[in-house]
Amino acid sequence: MSEFLNIDDLSKTFEGQPILNGIHLSLESNTVLSILGKSGSGKTTLLKIIAGLEDADQGRISLEGKPVMTLKPQKRNIVYLYQEALLFPHLNVFENIAFGLRLQKKDQTEIEKRVIQMLGPLGLEHMKYKSPNQLSGGEKQRVAFGRAIIVEPKLLLLDEPFGALDVETRHSMQQLFKNLAKQLSISALFVTHDLKEAIIMGDDIGKIENGNYKAYTSKKEFYKDAKSGVTDEIDFWSNLQRGEFSKS
Amino acid sequence: MRKQIGQSIVGFIILFPIVFLLILSFGKQWFYPHILPNLWQTSQWESLFSPSFQLTKSLGLSLLLSISVGLVSTVTAFYFSKKIAYSYNKTTWQSLAYVPYLLSPIIFAVLIHFYFLKTGLSGSLLGVIIAQFLICFPFGIIICSTFWTSQIQSLENLSFTLGGSTTQTLKRVLLPLAKSTLLLCFFQCFLISWFEYGLTHFIGAGKVKTLTVSVFTYVNEANPFLAALAGFLLILPSVILLLVNKRLIFKTSKKHTDYE
Amino acid sequence: MISIKQITPWKTALFILMLLPMLLGLGYGLLYSFGVIGLLNTGFTSEHWSDILLNFSFWKSLLFSFSIGLISVGISLVIALWMVVNWHHDLKKGKLSTLIYLPLAFPATVVGFFIFQSFSKAGFWSRFLYQIGIISEIEDFPSLVNDAYGIGIILASTFIITPFLSLILKGIFENEHVTKFQHIAKSLGASQRQVLMKITLPILLQKAKTSLFLFLIFVIGSYEIPLLLGRQNPKMITVAIVDKAQRFNLNDIPQAYAMAILYVLFLLFLFFGFQRLAKLKTKAYA
Repeated sequence: MSEFLNIDDLSKTFEGQPILNGIHLSLESNTVLSILGKSGSGKTTLLKIIAGLEDADQGRISLEGKPVMTLKPQKRNIVYLYQEALLFPHLNVFENIAFGLRLQKKDQTEIEKRVIQMLGPLGLEHMKYKSPNQLSGGEKQRVAFGRAIIVEPKLLLLDEPFGALDVETRHSMQQLFKNLAKQLSISALFVTHDLKEAIIMGDDIGKIENGNYKAYTSKKEFYKDAKSGVTDEIDFWSNLQRGEFSKS
Repeated sequence: MRKQIGQSIVGFIILFPIVFLLILSFGKQWFYPHILPNLWQTSQWESLFSPSFQLTKSLGLSLLLSISVGLVSTVTAFYFSKKIAYSYNKTTWQSLAYVPYLLSPIIFAVLIHFYFLKTGLSGSLLGVIIAQFLICFPFGIIICSTFWTSQIQSLENLSFTLGGSTTQTLKRVLLPLAKSTLLLCFFQCFLISWFEYGLTHFIGAGKVKTLTVSVFTYVNEANPFLAALAGFLLILPSVILLLVNKRLIFKTSKKHTDYE
Repeated sequence: MISIKQITPWKTALFILMLLPMLLGLGYGLLYSFGVIGLLNTGFTSEHWSDILLNFSFWKSLLFSFSIGLISVGISLVIALWMVVNWHHDLKKGKLSTLIYLPLAFPATVVGFFIFQSFSKAGFWSRFLYQIGIISEIEDFPSLVNDAYGIGIILASTFIITPFLSLILKGIFENEHVTKFQHIAKSLGASQRQVLMKITLPILLQKAKTSLFLFLIFVIGSYEIPLLLGRQNPKMITVAIVDKAQRFNLNDIPQAYAMAILYVLFLLFLFFGFQRLAKLKTKAYA
């Protein structure tokens, strides 16, 4: 069985400190892998190396069986999404989404067709000419999505994309992403520090901690792992129900 | 009331030189104790329109010189400021960029003059361009450095992952966002060159007659009227720039970034 | 800890453009001043250096430049502070906010020329005072330019620095939200004077100190202004150096280079002194 994405023995140190220690990771196509990791765990570095925005000290990465480390980021077909929806400030919503297509020198009619098609599922039809500073956090994140998905990348890397949003917007964005991922058969790595979000968003789960990565063969295995914090959560809510946090 | 008087005095102090220069530039004779020139002429202003007039040649030369220096300095500074901003020893390089300014341009000229003599650049326009560039370009780096924030770096990376080449990213993302920084840098470097005298006179060996050099020539010839005319021409570009956009002359508030 | 990998092509290019000319210049100056190279030079000698170091007029020029710098920056600071503290609103909007930018359009050459034409004995103000009867002869007007105290130079330098400094202070005022702090202090019971001395001035001065230092260096290194408004004795250091370098007497040239290098050393000395002073002051507020 050949995996879609295969990462082998990936390591990186910075100023003598180890950031990533021999990471082994694999992803099947049309799957979303959630990676649970808190800040300082090396998660952002991992994603940036996969995207080609940083170099690793050693290791191999292959996408669809072909090695990728020697390719420049623009040739990898891997899109990296930041936590803060980074929209091009000098372009409106339409142009932001169309950006990747313009780079490919697609003609105007095709660009218009595809962008307008993308606006629908994202709920952005009435905003196509707005500029980024007129948008809310959730709206910006949706534009960032559209911009990433429209170029049909082989792999999407999401670095805590909903971290900056309020709870309600977060929930609707999680739903939106899940639906789009299924619809468009997207392969993605979804990194988050939020336990619940990791469980909701991914088909599979992994955990990164202090530069070490642990893969789980199933979500059940993850729940059972005492260190995953799932049991802590369950205990918390059950204790609350039982009233063990009443004033003493 | 006191404020009105105070501010009027300040306003007078600021505007008087411009008016005074203008008046003097039309003078022909200014015997003591007349407040204004006792004899007038418009001939020197009219001469400006004839290309053989020394001052007109100086004006043209200064424009050519300063625009060249401004352009080359801006392009170079933009490129190197990016390299510095993303580099490891960012602060060291940026502090070093202040050095050519700290060393008075004229003293700098005295020290490197030998090399200009040896290479035959002394007394040539190219020599002056190079010498002025060496002063302006580090200044340009200081100005352009403010553009390379982590947000810009992220936008650049974003463009890469969306498939953009380095050229496309430059054209579609970096340059549009850098417009006001680049303009500021150009005008600042232009003005440094435009106003420069000591280094220009020394390296140019008196042969490269810019507007500032002309002011001194006329002063030495005891012709305050032509000196005033030259001086007025010197302040003209900045006054125009000022009326167009004061922020091109000076950026005071950190609040106004390029894209707000 | 510099590995070969870190010496990239752009760093080399930058070094060549930014630092090499200076180093080459200093190197040449050193060699020439020590007699190793140059016309009329016969080999290593320290006589030029001892001539300069023992030369009273060199130190006089250096000290003169330094004093003029301090005085000019000092006066400009007082005026600029006064304007920013009292007229803060008008500097933001209105005629004054545009006017204050105008002097930035004046090169040192023009300012020097203007000050000369205004304040010399045959200048505008002398004629004005004559016309309204305060003086009866051209000689009665005081020597303000080409004088022994450098008054003309101070006037010109102050004219250049004050608007610039005002804009910098205004920027600090806004960026550091000084008005907010003033309100807080007042609500805690501070008087006008206390607000000024304990809030406004410390914040402005603390943030402006680098600019003040740079202005000091600017005045010390200015050339056009002393050329137009100074005189043979005392000479500002830049004029002194250039004079020696351009003299027909070839024996003076090594001395000119020695002076130039001493000037650079003096600036370095000021720079490190400034760094020390700045560190001390921040500790006082910690």
